[in-house]
Amino acid sequence: MQTYIDTQAYQSQLARFCRTGQWEPIPGVHVQHVQQYRRLVYNVIDDMLLNAYPLVYACIEQEEWNELVQLFFSEHNCQSPQVWYMPKEFYLFLHKRQHPLLQKYPQLLNVMEYEWAEIALFMMEDIAVTYTTFGDVLFSKLILNPEHCLLHLTYPVHQKKVNTIHAEDKSCFYVIGHRNREGAVLFTDLSPALVRMIEYLAMQPLSVMQLIQQLENEYAMQLTEKDKNAVLHFFEVALQKQLLLGFSVSSEKKVFE
Amino acid sequence: MVGIGYRKDFAADFAESNDMQPSFIEVAPENWIGVGGYWKKQFQKALEQYPLFTHGLSLSIGSPDPLDFVFLKQVKQFLRQTNAVLYSEHLSYAKCNNAHLYDLLPIPFTEAAIHHVANNIKQVQDFLEERIAIEIVSYYTPVAPELSEIDFINAILQEADCDLLLDVNNVYVNSFNHQYNAKKFIEQLPMHKVKYIHMAGHEKVADDLIIDTHGEAIIDPVYDLFAFTIQQLNRDVPVLLERDFNIPELIQLQGEINRLRDIKQQILQPASYANIY
Repeated sequence: MQTYIDTQAYQSQLARFCRTGQWEPIPGVHVQHVQQYRRLVYNVIDDMLLNAYPLVYACIEQEEWNELVQLFFSEHNCQSPQVWYMPKEFYLFLHKRQHPLLQKYPQLLNVMEYEWAEIALFMMEDIAVTYTTFGDVLFSKLILNPEHCLLHLTYPVHQKKVNTIHAEDKSCFYVIGHRNREGAVLFTDLSPALVRMIEYLAMQPLSVMQLIQQLENEYAMQLTEKDKNAVLHFFEVALQKQLLLGFSVSSEKKVFE
Repeated sequence: MVGIGYRKDFAADFAESNDMQPSFIEVAPENWIGVGGYWKKQFQKALEQYPLFTHGLSLSIGSPDPLDFVFLKQVKQFLRQTNAVLYSEHLSYAKCNNAHLYDLLPIPFTEAAIHHVANNIKQVQDFLEERIAIEIVSYYTPVAPELSEIDFINAILQEADCDLLLDVNNVYVNSFNHQYNAKKFIEQLPMHKVKYIHMAGHEKVADDLIIDTHGEAIIDPVYDLFAFTIQQLNRDVPVLLERDFNIPELIQLQGEINRLRDIKQQILQPASYANIY
């Protein structure tokens, strides 16, 4: 009779085979049929990653993709019980690993970050916020949509076809992604000044006037009228796109909690 | 009652049309825990209309690794929030060597595994404060077996004191792959423990191998085995139609649901069939 140590060892061998393809004989196993497990398990990982990262897939060669998926699956211990979350582990794995393909395709990590941000925003839990739709963009305190994330990209993966991006495209790109009430994920380019204002808003509701004032104070600078109008226009559009949900509830009617 | 495995692939059509009218829906908690936005809205709409049965994928009850109680706590919360009728899991393992594999691997049919798995099931039942149903999985090779499949399953059901999710298609697939008589296998199961039935399609990939794909319509021999199972049960049990890939028009799925309902109705005497309602 087998001890549980033996049983565990056989289970471990089968799991290792599924991940690496390296076969160590196990008593009673039908060697031809056991290949199906390797195929089925690999397909789950490959399909999930393909669905999560279509732009990465389009960016690199098929063989390179296969190599990445195999490397990830054989060497990384997937930790999330939720398979839809596993692609994030793929991104983190390649980031930590500093795989040579990241030299060949310097935009690759940015592409993954961008694609994962879209999934994470689309799937994330709802966050309840109290706000009103009655207010004035310039003077009322604005409520930022908490279902957002800020990205700092080195390559314009949100603007250009990813396989047409080259080393000379390298620069600094600030992007905010958010989920609107219909559940769609939208990305918006930001200037560094707007990034800072969004960060202020993430901490507390402020009016556009207050945001401008805080920025001017922090950086000891004076925005021109043209700049101030541009800021105001940005927040007006942000309100339409639901990057801003509305205004802080004070004496106004509460519409959502 | 005949339900359907609720899939994101058809969620929108399902919400907007009357082409498919199941008695309940089933989901894997891990596909919905912590999910908001568009999918949560769709799921909520479905929950307003249908009772929910749940069928886990990642608990890995047969794993050599310890049970993940952090995850189990999330499952428990999900079951409470959704008012789920039942929670079931697979008699298999999906995590090993501290890594999820996201598929169902066969447990060696050994005495040692019986005690380990039964102990895990008991811990899960204690933690969830409810009985769970365990599904007999399809498998493509035995792994270091000491016992027959039927002895292994029955020993676990007895030692764990849990319910049985009888996947009739899996029994068919296993009987083909491992060359035994499916009806005799079903006759040896403790039918009083059957709480739930799964039905699905499969794919024959070689002369000696069927893969449980959930990607095809149910075939006639599996309907026949289902009829045999209902005869053996002689009582009504909720039945689920699983369809995970190659999803056809909803009206076609309704056709399969209708056929399952008809089979049950024909076999069960009016008195025993009426009991469930």
